[in-house]
Amino acid sequence: MDLITVTREEGVKFQVRIRDHVFTTDMGKHEGGTDGGPAPVEFLGAAAGACLATMVQSYCDSRGYTDGDVSVSLTLELAPNPNRVAGFILDVELPADVPDGDREKLKKMALQMPVPATLRGRPRVDIEMM
Amino acid sequence: MEMVELGGKQVEIDEDGFIQDPDIWDEAVALSLAKTEGVDELTDNHWKLVNYLREYYLEYNMAPMIRKLCKQTGFSLKEVYDLFPSGPAKGACKVAGLPKPTGCV
Repeated sequence: MDLITVTREEGVKFQVRIRDHVFTTDMGKHEGGTDGGPAPVEFLGAAAGACLATMVQSYCDSRGYTDGDVSVSLTLELAPNPNRVAGFILDVELPADVPDGDREKLKKMALQMPVPATLRGRPRVDIEMM
Repeated sequence: MEMVELGGKQVEIDEDGFIQDPDIWDEAVALSLAKTEGVDELTDNHWKLVNYLREYYLEYNMAPMIRKLCKQTGFSLKEVYDLFPSGPAKGACKVAGLPKPTGCV
């Protein structure tokens, strides 16, 4: 796993660097930011959606299901005290030629994919203040 | 809190524009609220969502979870966002006159 670094640009806008990939995160205008990029929690949702899309597309490609591409629409349910994500709601659009039997199988497989499985498994979060 | 005119009535709203008294809601208020969310016209599909949200709220005193909203109305998540671009909570619940939900985005 490569190192991920997060450095400040201005305000609550931060630059995230992973290898040679750089992107920006910021809070919305009502949350003290400038909406200069997705909020961190939105990246969390994006990670879940991208993981699912990647794995399901690979499955469909390997089975020759080619009548359309995989796409994912998702949103988050938030909960207060403490503010957190209470749920990830994901709709996965499949190629039209995926048989019904595979749809159910894919739904079960999706929960075992890296990001969904990580979220469901409540990973350890180890923080040190330097 | 501030008072604004919605649907020809003086209505108290919170800092996010949600009305504070669900009983003051009517279709004219809904249309005014929709305009604040960038929705200029409420179609039958908008009303299907709005009416489901109101009926659920009046029965359970809370907004439904998003998946339940989708299943009960028959809309996919993407279709809900097509109707209310600011989402089921910030958009649809606001237009339905519900208090700001804590359970969804």
